[in-house]
Amino acid sequence: MSTRRSGGRTVRSAGLAFLVGILVIGLLASPIPAQAPKPGGTLTYVVSAEPPSFDAHRETTFAMLHPIRPHYNLLVKFDMPNYPKVVGDLAENWTISQDGLTYTFRMRRGVQFHDGSPLTSRDVKASYDKIIFPKGDVVSVRQATYEMVEKIEAPNPTTVVFRLKWPSPSFLANLASPFNWIYKADILEKEPRWYERNVMGTGPFKFVEYVRGSHWAGVRNENYFVSGRPYLDGYRALFIRAVAAQVAAVRSGQALIEFRGFTPAQRDDIVKALGDKVVVQEGGWLCNLLVVFNVNRTPFSDARFRRALTLAIDRWGGSRALSQITLLGPVGGVMRPGSEFATPDSELVRLAGYGRDIGAARAEAKKLLTEARVPEGFEFTLKNRNIPMPYEPAGVFLIDQWRQIGLRVSHVVQETGPYLADLRGGNYEAGIDFSCDFMDEPDVQLHKFISADRSPANYGGYTDRVLDRLFTEQSRTRDPEKRLQLIRQFEKRVLDEKAYQIYVLWWHRIIPHWTKLRGWKMGPAHHLDPDLQDVWIAD
Amino acid sequence: MAASITITPRAQPRPRWLGWFIRRYPLGAVAGLAILTMGIAAASATWLAPYDPLAIDFLAMFSRPGPGHWLGTDAFGRDVLSRMIFGAQTALLVGFFASLAGATLGGVIGVVSAYFGSTGDLVIQRLADILISFPLIILAMAIVAILGTGTVNLIAAIALSFVPRAEIIVRASALGIRQTPYLEAARALGAGHWRIIFRHMVPNVVAPYLVILTAFLGQAILLEASLSFLGLGVAEPTPAWGLMLSGAAVDFVQRAPWMAIFPGLAISFMVLAFNMLGDALRDALDPKLRT
Amino acid sequence: MTRYIAKRFLLMFPTLVAVAVLIFVLVRVVPGDIVELRLVSGGMFVTKEVVEKERIRLGLNKPIWQQFVDWMVGMVRLDLGTSMWTGAPVSQEIAIRLQLSLQLAFMATLIAVVLAVPLGALAAIRRGTWIDYAVQVFSVAGLAVPSFWLGILLILFLLTYFQWLPPLTFTSLWKDPRANLLQLIWPALAVGYRYSAVATRMTRSALLEVLREDYIRTAWSKGLAERVIVRRHALRNALLPVVAVIGLEFAFLIGGLVVTEQVFNLNGIGKLFVEAISRRDYTLIQGLMLLVAFAYVAVNLVIDLLYAWLDPRITYG
Repeated sequence: MSTRRSGGRTVRSAGLAFLVGILVIGLLASPIPAQAPKPGGTLTYVVSAEPPSFDAHRETTFAMLHPIRPHYNLLVKFDMPNYPKVVGDLAENWTISQDGLTYTFRMRRGVQFHDGSPLTSRDVKASYDKIIFPKGDVVSVRQATYEMVEKIEAPNPTTVVFRLKWPSPSFLANLASPFNWIYKADILEKEPRWYERNVMGTGPFKFVEYVRGSHWAGVRNENYFVSGRPYLDGYRALFIRAVAAQVAAVRSGQALIEFRGFTPAQRDDIVKALGDKVVVQEGGWLCNLLVVFNVNRTPFSDARFRRALTLAIDRWGGSRALSQITLLGPVGGVMRPGSEFATPDSELVRLAGYGRDIGAARAEAKKLLTEARVPEGFEFTLKNRNIPMPYEPAGVFLIDQWRQIGLRVSHVVQETGPYLADLRGGNYEAGIDFSCDFMDEPDVQLHKFISADRSPANYGGYTDRVLDRLFTEQSRTRDPEKRLQLIRQFEKRVLDEKAYQIYVLWWHRIIPHWTKLRGWKMGPAHHLDPDLQDVWIAD
Repeated sequence: MAASITITPRAQPRPRWLGWFIRRYPLGAVAGLAILTMGIAAASATWLAPYDPLAIDFLAMFSRPGPGHWLGTDAFGRDVLSRMIFGAQTALLVGFFASLAGATLGGVIGVVSAYFGSTGDLVIQRLADILISFPLIILAMAIVAILGTGTVNLIAAIALSFVPRAEIIVRASALGIRQTPYLEAARALGAGHWRIIFRHMVPNVVAPYLVILTAFLGQAILLEASLSFLGLGVAEPTPAWGLMLSGAAVDFVQRAPWMAIFPGLAISFMVLAFNMLGDALRDALDPKLRT
Repeated sequence: MTRYIAKRFLLMFPTLVAVAVLIFVLVRVVPGDIVELRLVSGGMFVTKEVVEKERIRLGLNKPIWQQFVDWMVGMVRLDLGTSMWTGAPVSQEIAIRLQLSLQLAFMATLIAVVLAVPLGALAAIRRGTWIDYAVQVFSVAGLAVPSFWLGILLILFLLTYFQWLPPLTFTSLWKDPRANLLQLIWPALAVGYRYSAVATRMTRSALLEVLREDYIRTAWSKGLAERVIVRRHALRNALLPVVAVIGLEFAFLIGGLVVTEQVFNLNGIGKLFVEAISRRDYTLIQGLMLLVAFAYVAVNLVIDLLYAWLDPRITYG
């Protein structure tokens, strides 16, 4: 959890700042006053988008996780108060062989699906076979992240074994993916796509109803395998797309929380209106904005020009200002600031565009522009999505920064559809890109930067075998220190030497919620919330 | 030879126009004056605006209206008044070109279609009937989706959604004189199609054309605001009223209400002026027409 | 008359088929791809193979003509297909939203009629007086103020003075009339004002026209009271074009409240349309556009029949 930066003159009224300050300090001291959990009540929360289908194995959006996740369990999950620690969910415990190639999980006993049938290792195997080895027209979007898995075995009803082709330090965390819901083997056998439109899990809540465009409702699973859980009688997820209406829902008490994140101003609105009826949880967020350059266009093919562009950006100053009005915040490299893999600030400042002296950096940028023979007043376009937060402010910010080294940039804002098509098709000069993941894991976060022929998420169009080699090497290195070194080398090459893609800022997650909502701790990824197992409502 | 035919179907009374118009339609005249003023303000925005409309000032975010910033600042600390003055440029630009293009294209199709008649006319009429069955905003959204966003595409989208409406009205006026004796006479005297269209039909549809043109101006500005509000119009950081109303203005409506109030007032005021001028023009030019 | 009705009714269908063809082509010209939007736009990495597989599943790899034939065959059986995004039947997606949109359209119409007819009549009768001017300014302003902005101001007003917000989720009128009305009355007011402006102007000008007619002058000369003349003779005849305007506006309201629904977070047809377009959900866009066109064509038919029935001067055959 972060402390609030107080940069420059505060614009907000002093009283409000004081109030927020007190709340956050209070939060730091003791997140939630100790009290025995009280069963009962219905939790209402806001979800800002609607689930496309109900099958997590084939979707990538939190809009499907937030309303439906409480119906399911995973094999293992992240222990949110102690993230990134992994604990068992349906698994009681597990062992990893010396060579790192065999993972053996022992299952909990007495777990039942909502239809009353018992869960066995067969269900786990069937679910993971669907995720890793999908058959026919079944789509599994994260199939490629499990390419190290050779096969899955279920030797007896309470044991599941994963056999790997090569040791992978990120494998266990990967199994804790919030998308890997355990389905029922009998159903999958009969109808592999049944789960796209139906719900049948073992989770703490049973399905009640889904009204399109309105809400999703669940009711307490009386036979849940953790005794005394869940605390809540039920929950209701309200689908509200308009941002102002989301804030209004929390303000008016029609909802107690929104699990994705609000902007600072929205937080202030809610805090001002509700006072100590709300608490605010804040911290790092595993999402970021980048700028990708099309290396097939001049002068973007010239690394000097790209370096000039990254040098021109005042990240530290921008972070102070933008964190007051947008959900952008921390300055960081390829790994999330605050994560175990992150480059500390003292080293970060040595990368191009991360120095504290913006005047010197811009002077160097201008020199590089001259070397690259880019004239004063050179014009290019910056492609962006038409999503107000945080894409549009980031675009406005970048254009202002580049104007200061004499470049004239026009903003081309597009709907997401054509924007993605243009980025993929190389029909752009510079574009704002982004990534958002569910766990701090170099394999996931670095994947965007390897050669375009290996990574479909690399829109830059470049080929760099050095990066590819470093990526593969770090992915299979089990010694954490060595792995970290490889990541640093990778980072320096991408962001500084070659400046293929550059970071604007990382996101800062802010969740204001009613104080009476207890038993929930915010993590760094909105995908990890919530299973609602331990959440309760105080009087 | 036939060039000396100078019959006009309806002798236009030509009093001293401006003076007559002002005395007869004072509201219209006031509206015209207001539009003129806004036009001049927009044209001289560079000198008039107290601040650079694009200049970000993070130290002045959400400043209240006061001596420093008369109408306050927005979420980036940009001066609301300056953005509104420059926004008038965008509104007038989009409004003027979109309605001009829409009314003209529709008018041309309407006249030609009315003159030639037969199958072509029938097909065009069916098509126009179909297109007017969609609300303007839906039509414009669909066209924006095809063309993409941005100021030029926005103008095109609004113009195109006006075309069927203009076409139907102009065609109806043009049809009325197609069968009149003097046209028959002109044709008998051997005048070419285009000559007849330009010399005889076009002058007769000028009145409805002008009326729909002014009526479209107000609608175009409203459409621009709506589309920009939905993120389908002009792109940040270009100052535009609809854009100023979207995003931050709604999110921060209670904290910084001036961000939502002033641009909305500007839109209402400009559309009001255009509508009033349009009404007066309609009454003066073609009282039978309802737009 | 029966023949006329039948003929007009049957004429609806070629129009709707033409609409369908037009929409189908237009939708495919829109750049952007539903599969990419669905799987990639969240910022997670997905392989090309997965994207391709999904595309095949949605039938997007089939030739365009084949897709069109599939759609048309479904239509003959009154099946609009399934939404490419949610996988639910398009008719079901629309039905859920239609209830709200229809109710909002009715409420706005009601507000408009209640305001417009008396105001318009008053302005016509007192033509040239300050009442007339006031009504005209009121209605011209109604056309100028963006209704979504009026919505924003309404919300601001409620928040500032009452610390209260209308409910954010839809409750059916039959289930809980109070919650239902509390949610819908505000957007209905914002939209109804603009709508009433259109109708007021129409009432005024139509009534003015009728008041100039001979039979009204006769009535005057017979010494009938003003109220009787206006109520019994003039207004009745002037109402026909007013009804037509109200009908067409009503048809537009069903799908056209795109921005207002955003502001008030209403789960209506307009919001669904915005979502369908931004997701490139072809089947849903097609279904919605068809619905909007149908509403307009149907209302037009009703108006034509009303005219034919009420106004003996119109010949039909």
